[in-house]
Amino acid sequence: MFKCENLAKSYDNILFENFNLVLEPGEIVAITGPSGCGKTTLLRCICGLENLDMGKIVLEKKDITAIPAEERGIGLIFQKPVLYPHLNVEKNLKLASKRGDISKALSEVNLTGFEKRNVSNLSGGEGQRVALARALLAEPSVLLLDEPFSSLDEDLSLRLVSDVRKLLKARNCPAILVTHNKTIAGKFADKILTLN
Amino acid sequence: MSNKYVARLAVGLYLSLIVLPLWLALDRLIWVAGFDAYSWLNSLDENFISQGVLEFTIIQATLSAILTLAIGIPIAWQLGRYSWPLQSLIRSILTMPFVMPSIVAAMGFMSIIGENGLDIRSDRSTWFTTLIIAHAWFNLALVIRFCEPVLSTLDPSMEEQMRLLPSGKTWWGRFRNLWAPILMPSIAAAACMTFVFSFTSFALVEWITLGENTLESMMADIGSSAGIKGVMVSKNELILGASIIQFSILIFSLGLMSWLQQRRQSLLPLVSENIVKTQNKKGWIIVLPAIVFAVLPLLAVLISSFRIREVDAGGSRQYWSTEAWNYAFTATNSLPSAWDALQNSIGYAIITLFIALPLGWMLALTIFDLEKRKPRLARILDISTMLPFAVSSVMIGLGVMLGMIKINPQFFYSLWFTPILAHVMITTPFVVRIMLPAIRSLDPSFDECAQILGMSKTKRFFLITIPMLKGSLIISSIFILAMSMGEFGASWVVTRNSDWTTLPVIIDSIRAVPYNNPMTVPAANAVSSVLMIIALLLFISTEKFRPKRDGGMF
Repeated sequence: MFKCENLAKSYDNILFENFNLVLEPGEIVAITGPSGCGKTTLLRCICGLENLDMGKIVLEKKDITAIPAEERGIGLIFQKPVLYPHLNVEKNLKLASKRGDISKALSEVNLTGFEKRNVSNLSGGEGQRVALARALLAEPSVLLLDEPFSSLDEDLSLRLVSDVRKLLKARNCPAILVTHNKTIAGKFADKILTLN
Repeated sequence: MSNKYVARLAVGLYLSLIVLPLWLALDRLIWVAGFDAYSWLNSLDENFISQGVLEFTIIQATLSAILTLAIGIPIAWQLGRYSWPLQSLIRSILTMPFVMPSIVAAMGFMSIIGENGLDIRSDRSTWFTTLIIAHAWFNLALVIRFCEPVLSTLDPSMEEQMRLLPSGKTWWGRFRNLWAPILMPSIAAAACMTFVFSFTSFALVEWITLGENTLESMMADIGSSAGIKGVMVSKNELILGASIIQFSILIFSLGLMSWLQQRRQSLLPLVSENIVKTQNKKGWIIVLPAIVFAVLPLLAVLISSFRIREVDAGGSRQYWSTEAWNYAFTATNSLPSAWDALQNSIGYAIITLFIALPLGWMLALTIFDLEKRKPRLARILDISTMLPFAVSSVMIGLGVMLGMIKINPQFFYSLWFTPILAHVMITTPFVVRIMLPAIRSLDPSFDECAQILGMSKTKRFFLITIPMLKGSLIISSIFILAMSMGEFGASWVVTRNSDWTTLPVIIDSIRAVPYNNPMTVPAANAVSSVLMIIALLLFISTEKFRPKRDGGMF
């Protein structure tokens, strides 16, 4: 089980406070809210890229609030796919797991045979699928998705939403999606929260 | 290592290796000459050594900048606006002179106008014109590198739109309302840099002119007898006076250049990457002579190294031979061999690389880190790392000579690596200038994503940071090697020990052997050819890693 207890963060103004969330295994939650309300910061705090002002994050009964990002075991998919241009698709995936089955991971995201492709030649949708395959290959305890569908066209994003949901459910991997698109949130998540 | 320790180490090393020797040199000069800035500046007018030097320096630098623009802008226009077969090769040939060591350029032009060439150097107007042309040859790349990217990537719809507007109907109207405002910051920046390089030019002035001095060459000539209490005090005053003027002019020019660069950068986003260009056959009238102009002095160096001219009572005779190469690479009673000089040059360049690259990189990282937390401190450090740019290579040489060697000559002359300090002082700021934009442009999400994937700091450094900065690191490394191998001004001042002789210094020493030795000119050109080939190979390797829209001088 994954729990966020009384999370708070502010810069010049309060971004969020008393934020609470409980995720059961395989449960998918979407957090919506207007631009600038702190959705992305919330995800960055949960995965450890930024420090919280207050609150506690608990994963499998263990307090992980002070654990550095690289040791938390939480995955994050950025708004635009972050793929390393000096590595091909296969080597990008190997950053997540040296021994993982790359071909299987790619076939799960419908990119069979893309191993040797140069990442700079991938389309937006393909890039996001590679980022997803890599995130899943790392076998995260929780997967965070920071508006990964927002830069894609409507058809493609709806297709990807459905594919990703199926993959997460098949792995029983809990996930948090932040988005300002309520349609996407509705199709992707089991539960929707709104951040004001 | 945490960022805090990197910052402390970088700043500490920078202060002790680069700022301290200059500070000590200044302190020593003031200790000898007394603290009286008015008297230092006044000495420039009063002392016969320096009379007319400042005027000559400014006039030749201004004329050099004007001629460089006059030659460079039409070439940049042709390269930027039209498509050319083997365009990148043409661009490389035309920008190659800038990376050539200045002593090689000097030997090239001397081969054309000197005794073994057209023999027209004895006429004042000839050597003055040659000096201006040589500066234009050397700095041509600056105009091309600054202007061509703007010309070649400007969105064509801008010109099309201008054609349809009343103020853009004529060619002049389009130039006045579109091209001039867009190009002006680039042209002015190139002019500014050309002025700076011509103002501080040393090897070309030393060899092409007949005894005329710029502030730079005058300081080099009198530097060795400065810094001794009670001895030739006036020379210390002259160096201080010349340094104040040179420093002020360089600071002003570099400040202007930085402002122009910012304006230039703000205009660059007007660009489009996908432009279809037409060919322009008439343009060969400009491009072909430009290629010949760029290549001629270098060819002259190589050819002259095989051409031996003997003069005796019966007249002169010339023949082709490799004797001069053998002569250059064999030690004589008065000169070490070019092999020794080559080994020193390679040794110094490699050690400089191992010091300047990490130091420059750490300084760039520190500036980048401070920019987020303490922007004012970042700005101060950023400007401080540019200090050696505002101090010419001869001044840096004097810094090492007066600030270190003269404190304990016996000790410093016994160390083979003493000259490396000057090379580190000269190259480190360039590394900072190359690495800082690269670090700034590195998307932080690359590191964050690697962190999320569970990679440790060390692993991220080796697997993500280094590969992503590879291009800039390679360009910096090649730049350090090329600059160190070709460095002449500081080495000329510092090298008072034949064990320290480098390739540029031995070229100068061989060329200074009296002309009754038939090997003097060809042997100097033989060593110049070696240095030229090394510079050429390093230049070709850099071109591969240079970003397409680089546009700067690096």
